[in-house]
Amino acid sequence: MEIKFEGEHLFAGQIGHLAVYSAFSFSIVAAIAFFISSFSKEEEKQKSWLQIAQLSFFIQVAAVLSIVVSLFIIIQNHWFEYYYAWSHSNKALPPKYLLACFWEGQEGSFLLWMFWNSVLGCIIIFTLKKGKAGVLSVFSVVQILLSSMLLGLYFFEYKIGSNPFSLLRNEMQNAPIFKRADYLSFIQDGNGLNPLLQNYWMVIHPPILFLGFASTLVPFSFAMSGLMNRDFSSWAKPVLAWSLFSCAVLGTGIMMGGAWAYESLTFGGYWAWDPVENASLVPWLIMIGGVHTNLVFNKTGRSLRTTYIFYFLSFILVLYSTFLTRSGILGNTSVHAFTDLGMSGQLLIYMAALSIPAVILLVVFWKRIPSIEKDEQVFSREFWIFIGSLVFLISALQITFTTSIPVWNKLFGTNWAPPVEPVDHYNKFQIPIAIIILLLAATSLYLKFKKSDMKQFAKRIGTIAIIALAASMVIAIIAQLNEVSTLALLYAACFGVAANLFYLAIVLKGKMRLSGAAVAHFGFALMMLGILISSAKREVISFNSAGINFGSNFNEEQQRANMLLYKDAPVRMKEFTVTYTGDSAAPPNYYYKVNYEIFDSASGKVKEKFTLYPNAQINPKMGLIANPDTRHYATKDVYTHVTSVPDKTKDKEKQAEEKKFTDHTIALHDTFFTTNSYVVFENMQQVTKSDKVEIKGDDLAVEAQLMVKKMDGKSYEAKPIYFIHELQGFYYDDVIDELGLTFRLTKIMPEEKKVILSVAEEKPKDDWIVLTAIVFPFINLLWLGTLITITGFIISMVRIWQKKRLSSTVS
Amino acid sequence: MKKIHIVGLILIAVAIGSIITLASDYSQYETFLSAKGETKKDFQVVGYLNRSREMYYDPHVDPNYFTFYMKDKDSTECKVILYNSMPQDFVKSEQVVVTGRMKGNDFEAKSILMKCPSKYKADQVVVSQPKANT
Repeated sequence: MEIKFEGEHLFAGQIGHLAVYSAFSFSIVAAIAFFISSFSKEEEKQKSWLQIAQLSFFIQVAAVLSIVVSLFIIIQNHWFEYYYAWSHSNKALPPKYLLACFWEGQEGSFLLWMFWNSVLGCIIIFTLKKGKAGVLSVFSVVQILLSSMLLGLYFFEYKIGSNPFSLLRNEMQNAPIFKRADYLSFIQDGNGLNPLLQNYWMVIHPPILFLGFASTLVPFSFAMSGLMNRDFSSWAKPVLAWSLFSCAVLGTGIMMGGAWAYESLTFGGYWAWDPVENASLVPWLIMIGGVHTNLVFNKTGRSLRTTYIFYFLSFILVLYSTFLTRSGILGNTSVHAFTDLGMSGQLLIYMAALSIPAVILLVVFWKRIPSIEKDEQVFSREFWIFIGSLVFLISALQITFTTSIPVWNKLFGTNWAPPVEPVDHYNKFQIPIAIIILLLAATSLYLKFKKSDMKQFAKRIGTIAIIALAASMVIAIIAQLNEVSTLALLYAACFGVAANLFYLAIVLKGKMRLSGAAVAHFGFALMMLGILISSAKREVISFNSAGINFGSNFNEEQQRANMLLYKDAPVRMKEFTVTYTGDSAAPPNYYYKVNYEIFDSASGKVKEKFTLYPNAQINPKMGLIANPDTRHYATKDVYTHVTSVPDKTKDKEKQAEEKKFTDHTIALHDTFFTTNSYVVFENMQQVTKSDKVEIKGDDLAVEAQLMVKKMDGKSYEAKPIYFIHELQGFYYDDVIDELGLTFRLTKIMPEEKKVILSVAEEKPKDDWIVLTAIVFPFINLLWLGTLITITGFIISMVRIWQKKRLSSTVS
Repeated sequence: MKKIHIVGLILIAVAIGSIITLASDYSQYETFLSAKGETKKDFQVVGYLNRSREMYYDPHVDPNYFTFYMKDKDSTECKVILYNSMPQDFVKSEQVVVTGRMKGNDFEAKSILMKCPSKYKADQVVVSQPKANT
């Protein structure tokens, strides 16, 4: 029997479903039409097919937009009858994070990817003059594959894609609740967004990163189209601006990920060589290599084959990284948890479907791709750029090799585990690589394409080498750096900074339009300097060495990064005096107020003072989710996060319990003990005013004055009141929170000149935090360097653009 | 053969050579029993948190001392010591990968990696009574 379900909003989902199928079918139509257009010889046929193709592509774009809009409406309205809304959002979620829910799930991130592909495809349709049919045929094929990831159809036993508009009751058919027509009124709330992702970075990072991923498709498509149409080289000019764009965006996306980790996660750093980080880094490295060989080809006619390889590889590695992160294969090796939606087979097939044709075409046409047989000059820019690009490739190779350990295990049935010290492992290889890249990036600009004046080169580079030596020695001495690899990297970075600054000032004479390469290289050198200093001199200051015998276990010593701070009890951390002064709740977050002070040793006055508010969510599902807070100086960051806090919910339970009082019958000036203090009955008097109770007319209020002294000498006051109102007696207790003591004046016995004083003891209220504090010196150089590098890419991009517009207006 | 090809080949040869050398950094997933013989090298052990036994973390005594019991894939149980605070969301974790070495009968962990699939996918519908106004 069909059940008629109540309260569902099925229309949005139906639109969404329809849009998914339209996107899928129209990308097929577009792909076929673009193919036919690009292969037809007659101009008439070319044109008419191109029109059909473009129209289909636009319909596909409209369909993608409809999917996006319907899914967003579903999430925004909290229509939990949809599985996607139910599993990724809830009602308590602030509206600003609704976008984050959108791309938390796999379907949403594929959708984001498709969206960017559509945008880029449209830009190409409107801007590219020649050969767009070929380029867009590849685009459309990719759109077919991506949209099929949203189909959620069964093809025999095999499920293709996962549909974001699937209903909750269909996803969980077995649950009895879905037998009821009014089931929806029982589902009050969704599962919610992972608290770790409730963060503004989650709103801005994925769109940028996915734009970066999507942008690698442009050079791939240009190169593919070049091979397919046997027009092997004319694509290389128009593509360069796109490749630079890809470098800029992907670079921004990756570094945003690093900034996210650093600013609001508790990794204690910005880069951990985690497989998921590596997976997005590698295509970027390859893309940078590709930009350089592409440039060489445009200037000299060499390195075109290499350019093909780099552009193919970059996009294929994006697919590979998607496979790694979305298939669940990384399992034991990554801190990033991604679930396997059972799509890994599909992802693998798609990777093959795109890379095998690319490889075959490349092999078949290898001989026909133009190249120059004559040897290049050793002292030419192209020679060293080529070497540099190879170094990028090698760097990417090593990262991929280690990151792929779980894949090797699957393939060869081995049982390898990733290196126990991943950071050391990667650094061993990547620091020498960085040194080579820095030196090449610094010197190659001083070489000219084809042939260089060696005398001038030697003079300039010699001068820079000496300046760099002096600068790096100064830094090494001040920062007390002494490890060989660190010193070598330091020298290379200083060399890079000096050489590129010199180049900008002396050779380019500040001409910004031409400065792209030098600016990017300068930024890269700054980044390296920042990474070097901030990691070599990174210092955990929440390190309590007092009174603990570490013995010879260095391992243990390294880890002791946590300190316990009781409320209002200052603790010394290096030059800082750190005090935890209490928390404030802004559900679901608790903010812990931590004061940092630096005292002047001579005068004892506070020289500097700041307050950090590291926060934590006590999440019922996940426990403690801490977010750091960081004080940024120009030259260093002080980074703090809590690692353990008392469970406040338990405090409340404790309060609810009935207090157990012990009676003490005492006279004035008598003393008695509690478990953590002793109490002196100092005085007793009638009072007419009290902050505990309003005293009027005939009321009688008697206040006992108690002096409570803790064992360590600290003293407190307690003033319980006995109160008679209309012949009835009341107690007004006094509580000392810090000692966990409640005092009650239970009875006054005037004849005996004694009173009964009752004391209830509970464990002192737990108010403390455990925190980790780390100082990162000169980390701003890293962020500044990143921005400058990206600016460099953009300057070059704009320059090419302008040149193109200039040449097109001339012709 | 062109100069650049020779240089390229040399570079690639050096790179492959060093990648293979670096492969010596790779470890093997071990069990507590197989890790026991080696006290000089670090190992990684995959296993599950034993929830029925005590997890100890008392920051008042030592904020850098956390112990728990873990069962490896052969169901051998071992006490694991971590000289750090109790990791976030530890209680919720299902699978645990610990890196470190055996010290006596205990395992001293340098780092712990947790997998909590539940936090991303908890297919439990929370059913509640509809409020009066719905």
